[in-house]
Amino acid sequence: MSDFIQYFFNGLVVGCIFAIAAVGISLLYSVLRLVNFAAGDFLTLGAFITYFLSVTLELNFLLSVVVSMIAGMAISWFLELVLWRNLRRNKAGTLALFLVATGVALMLRPIIQFIFGTETRKFNIDILKTYDFLGARIPQTQLLVLIFASASILTIALFIAKARIGKDMRAYANNPGLASVSGINVDRVVLATWLISGALGSLAGVFQGLVQGQFNNAMGESLLLSFFAAVVLGTIGDAYGALAGGLLLGLIMELSQLSIFFGGVPSNYKPVVAFATLVLVLLFKPEGIFGYRARKV
Amino acid sequence: MEAFIQPGFWIFVLALAGIYGIFSLGLQIQYGVGGIMNFGHVGMMAVSGYTIAVLVIKYEWSFWWAALAGVILAAFLGALLGLTTLRLSGDYFAIASIAFAEIVRYWILNTDNVTGGTQGTLAIPSPNGFASYTDKPDVILTWISDRLYPIIGDEASRDLSMVLIVWPFFGLFIWLSSRLQKTSWARVLRATREDDDVPRSLGKNVFRFRLQTLIIGSVFGGLAGVFWSVQFALLAPEDFLRIVTFYGWMILILAGATRVKGLFVAAIFFGFLYGATRFLEFWPLSLLSSPERAYLRVFLIGLVIVLLMVKRPQGLFGKRQEMILE
Amino acid sequence: METTKTLNSSVLDVRNISVSFGGVKPVQDVSFTIKENSFTSVIGPNGAGKTSLFNLLSGMNKVSSGEIIFMGEAIHSIHAHKIAQKGLVRTFQGAKVIRRLTVAENLMMAVKGNPGDNLLGFFNPRARKSFEVKAREEAMRRLDQVGLTKFADEYAGILSGGQRKLLDLSRALMADPKMLLLDEPFAGVNPTLVEKLLTVLAALRKEQSITFLLIEHDLETVMNISDRVIVMADGKIIADGLPKSIYENDLVIDAYLGSRRKDS
Repeated sequence: MSDFIQYFFNGLVVGCIFAIAAVGISLLYSVLRLVNFAAGDFLTLGAFITYFLSVTLELNFLLSVVVSMIAGMAISWFLELVLWRNLRRNKAGTLALFLVATGVALMLRPIIQFIFGTETRKFNIDILKTYDFLGARIPQTQLLVLIFASASILTIALFIAKARIGKDMRAYANNPGLASVSGINVDRVVLATWLISGALGSLAGVFQGLVQGQFNNAMGESLLLSFFAAVVLGTIGDAYGALAGGLLLGLIMELSQLSIFFGGVPSNYKPVVAFATLVLVLLFKPEGIFGYRARKV
Repeated sequence: MEAFIQPGFWIFVLALAGIYGIFSLGLQIQYGVGGIMNFGHVGMMAVSGYTIAVLVIKYEWSFWWAALAGVILAAFLGALLGLTTLRLSGDYFAIASIAFAEIVRYWILNTDNVTGGTQGTLAIPSPNGFASYTDKPDVILTWISDRLYPIIGDEASRDLSMVLIVWPFFGLFIWLSSRLQKTSWARVLRATREDDDVPRSLGKNVFRFRLQTLIIGSVFGGLAGVFWSVQFALLAPEDFLRIVTFYGWMILILAGATRVKGLFVAAIFFGFLYGATRFLEFWPLSLLSSPERAYLRVFLIGLVIVLLMVKRPQGLFGKRQEMILE
Repeated sequence: METTKTLNSSVLDVRNISVSFGGVKPVQDVSFTIKENSFTSVIGPNGAGKTSLFNLLSGMNKVSSGEIIFMGEAIHSIHAHKIAQKGLVRTFQGAKVIRRLTVAENLMMAVKGNPGDNLLGFFNPRARKSFEVKAREEAMRRLDQVGLTKFADEYAGILSGGQRKLLDLSRALMADPKMLLLDEPFAGVNPTLVEKLLTVLAALRKEQSITFLLIEHDLETVMNISDRVIVMADGKIIADGLPKSIYENDLVIDAYLGSRRKDS
């Protein structure tokens, strides 16, 4: 039982982070039909900027997080201006979008390494302090991440549902042609999507850095496919689906280690659980858990 | 600057170009003809390379049979990937193919008693007690080297022997592939690249054509793995990261996706980029340490990909018209 | 295949077919029989289910219930490409051409039984080449028939809408059809070209005894060429008979006007 609670708790924490990263990817896909292969490296970037501000410059941690989110937004906006806008204008195909996103990831990674180095880093937060809950070991950092991450998820969900720009984004995603003739400012929608995904990338990166305790520059990249799994699980392009898909995937990955599942999946195979989930969903329900799109034969 | 004018540098560039050119040839037939976006191509090279290593070291097969088994297994993996996920539409297949290659890599990484795990093929348990792998593929290189001795009056380097093996094959494969791309089989595939419904409505089994292409491409991936394992002799999981697939994509889009012969030039460019960031010693490269050079390489490859897609999506040799009609 | 030519033998027999996608039912309980070498037009307002019907007949979508019999064989559960191989060939609304193949290549692709389509054919270059020569000859003959010869070696992407329709039709003919399903071949084509197309179709019917089933939006266009008209609305057949009787049918007039009311 305590095992279950432990893995369930871990799954919730991991799942919240997946959800935050996945919703950014999903929004970008729904609005721009762009599969953002660079999303993982934005996490790394967010974690390193926060590290630099809070540890090297000894600024307040929360302030550092906010600044790193702004930095994520700024970089996303910059790339929209110099890259994505031109590609859309040139009617770039699927492959071009894939490759440019990958190219951005390939460029971003060395830049991060060059600026911040390759050493393993950790935040100035006591990662050893733990609470005991029904036999499960709950580290303080994870508890904090869970609280802040669930608050973020609620904020995102409310924002998409209620805010004017959130509604515009959904309308545009559902029917770009109709939305642009019915007075929705497309440039604003695209910009908002990039800003949100940039900010969420940094935020998820900080959370992931906290949960891992220590991190290096490969952190985000290694998680990318798990995010895709969450996005596909929750129906690609569906923002709420991505939130749910992220949570669900986190739980699947952690609970798969319970001994009732084939004696428990070894923890070094956790990423494989995510990849396998991705492949299985694509095979049997490519429209995701909330989708009803007819399967392509 | 010195390395730049040394023949050894250029021979290394050519050896690498041959291996990755063959690798890219697999992507060329898959995407350039069939429109299939395979981002997990590195998995085929990994499977073939590791099959050879394991069979030679652990089961003491002869290198030739092991190489054959490696290529067959790569083809088999391509078939498995295709049968499971090729019915998905383009972007879904692309994502699934990455996941596929990553599963292969994780399996290699975590199955120490077969693959040697993180330490690579050096740690494969062998009946002799230690891994005696390198000498087997070396037999081929040594044979070439011995034949060259009277001609160049010196012992030929490993790279030079490799160039003499891999380039004739590279040429042969390109010739075969360009022949294949002139058949009506390839014409049907080009049609499927644009629109499935038309060839289907004319009685063509689109899935069969696609699957065949994926398998042929995987065979080239597997063949690249054979040459790879001869050249480097030691294999480790980090040699088969996701980025290696994009080495192949860079070569392909540089040549122009439909320009199979352009791969010669594009592969040499890639070899140069790789070799230059590794060996060249002039300023400002001389300021960088070896790991920093590795980042520079990754950065440059990313940059080339982005610039090509933005400025010249048809590649060096492609026709602009084909892109406009897309 | 040699078939005895009795005018009354049926080629296509559609029995109570329906299809539904997540609650929407584009085709509901549709039945009809098509006689050999006949010319039938399906008309109806937008959203009547005409193209959905074609997608079922050609196997692009599968029926939810009902049967489709083509030349004595049930085809409702086999793959689209097998249906085409049996001689039931369709064209598409808006004429799909493969833009990055040349016009001649578009046609040559369609030929049946090409040894070069098979990977094993790669090892028999002589058979491949002689087949290609024949295919090219036939393609040029078809292009001549519709006046597209001068575009033979241009990318099909440069053709105009009307020319694409001609190419689409010629390509379907290259596949050696027993029966052709034409989806709005006249939409967006100028009246002179429509006349020309109608002549081509009539000639094909006579010379190659092809059976035609054709979707058209506008009844007037197909009045003279059709010997039967089927009217669809909301996924059902609402009238079926001689063109003249359909022209005067109140139900049909209602369906058109009704749909217009709904649209606005």
